[in-house]
Amino acid sequence: MSRQGPRSWSRWSAWRSQHRAAARDSWAKLAARPMATAVTWLVVAISLALPGTLLLTLDNLAGVAGSWGDSARISVLLDDTADHAAAEALGDAVEAWPEVVTLALVDKDQALTDFATQTGLLFLVGSLPRNPLPHTLLVYPDSTLAAAELASLTTRLQSLPSVHQAVMDARWIARLEAALRTVERWVRGLGALMVLGAILLLGNTLRLAIEARHEELLVVSLIGGTKGFARRPFLYTGLWYGAGGGVMAALLLWLLSLWVSGPVNDLFMLYDSARQLDGPGLSYALTAILAGASVGWLAAWIASARVFRRLDTA
Amino acid sequence: MIEFDRVSRRFEDRDALRNLSLNIPSGEMAFLTGHSGAGKSTLLRLLLLLDRPTGGEVRLQGAATRHLKGGAVAHYRRRFGVVFQDHRLLFDRNVHDNVALPLEVAGYSPRDITRRVRAALDKVGLLASERAAPASLSAGEQQRVGIARAVVARPEYLIADEPTGNLDPQLSLEIMSLFEAFNQVGVTVLVATHDMALVSRLRHRVIALSAGRLVGSSAL
Repeated sequence: MSRQGPRSWSRWSAWRSQHRAAARDSWAKLAARPMATAVTWLVVAISLALPGTLLLTLDNLAGVAGSWGDSARISVLLDDTADHAAAEALGDAVEAWPEVVTLALVDKDQALTDFATQTGLLFLVGSLPRNPLPHTLLVYPDSTLAAAELASLTTRLQSLPSVHQAVMDARWIARLEAALRTVERWVRGLGALMVLGAILLLGNTLRLAIEARHEELLVVSLIGGTKGFARRPFLYTGLWYGAGGGVMAALLLWLLSLWVSGPVNDLFMLYDSARQLDGPGLSYALTAILAGASVGWLAAWIASARVFRRLDTA
Repeated sequence: MIEFDRVSRRFEDRDALRNLSLNIPSGEMAFLTGHSGAGKSTLLRLLLLLDRPTGGEVRLQGAATRHLKGGAVAHYRRRFGVVFQDHRLLFDRNVHDNVALPLEVAGYSPRDITRRVRAALDKVGLLASERAAPASLSAGEQQRVGIARAVVARPEYLIADEPTGNLDPQLSLEIMSLFEAFNQVGVTVLVATHDMALVSRLRHRVIALSAGRLVGSSAL
């Protein structure tokens, strides 16, 4: 005498139906206690949003560093006395050097116009008695050159006639990049700790929820419920806590970036950059929600494994 | 057929069952009697794989149960309907959802669940209380909900552990006649009870335990 479901009802639809029911019931339980749920969400959101903000900052800084190019550049400022033709001749000569990949001549009049339009200080520029800027050669050396070779190249450029000054721009970029790499590692470590904290916190919340339903677990186990069946509602509870926290984290990130975007964009402008602050965007939101959901699911799994181990021996 | 073959269960300080051999053929209804501590609960726990023997073997339909683990244990338990003295209803859901639980666990379709839950509640005379909260029912009614839950998935075996412990004689007799009705449609029924007055009024086999040993097995 064995019991059979009707033929049209496959294992697959049974499985889906059980998941739907577990997801719905867990959601209903959370919705029944909106304050407690919101607080849990907020705590998860903060643990996710903090590393998120730091990562967003890093992304923006890396963008700034990248936009200046990762190859070294030597700016060669010519004497006031050098006219455009002399500058061109010097440029052609230097470009033929084996260490130089390419070279650009920035005409002083062009530079002044660019400066005026980029800064909006047209009236000020117009009032100048004469152009204070020199002609400039931007020398892009072979990127395989070592630091010492770059330095000697700079010295050679410096010693050329009609050169006022040769400045290597590479070093501070390299330093910035090294600093960014350090900070990035720090941020990732910090982020991992915050996420671990979220897992522990959710794990504890869920463990209490599971223990509150101890009787139900016993009954389910007695009437032939598999461990998977007993665990399912809690996994969904974890999923809702985590995903809800992720949604709130995305919201927090968006609000924060909105709040700082004004000052940051002003800063970019002062540094003569056309860049704008990159907001968190869709990828950050999706990552936060996905990370939250995974954290919740994982925390529920760990918490239920602990409780079930004790149930097994009960 | 439920078979206990020289089964022992030793705890640290005492023997709950000693070398117990017992057969309950399919389709039979039997009482399991004895004072508390005689081994009734241990026997039922071993049968439901809530505990494992320290010696001997429990077999169901000739198949050893010793190797069953995890999901296989869950499927094994679905062959039983279990009624408890404290009925173990879940008070956070209504009568219908309590009775539906074994069907949900076994993966029945929602339409089938509704149909079968109604049929089971009808059998125990509680169809009208389908949407009621278990807490709002009387003790006898709660026990009948527990019975509906035990039989809703049409198990091969119905196991009851002191099902009438909290009920007056009249209600106890009603519960027993429900068990007899299930037995008449082919369900093997095993009822653990120390209510000898009740047992003597019903003409079924009595398996008597004392201090973990079988002291009598009468087929009336």
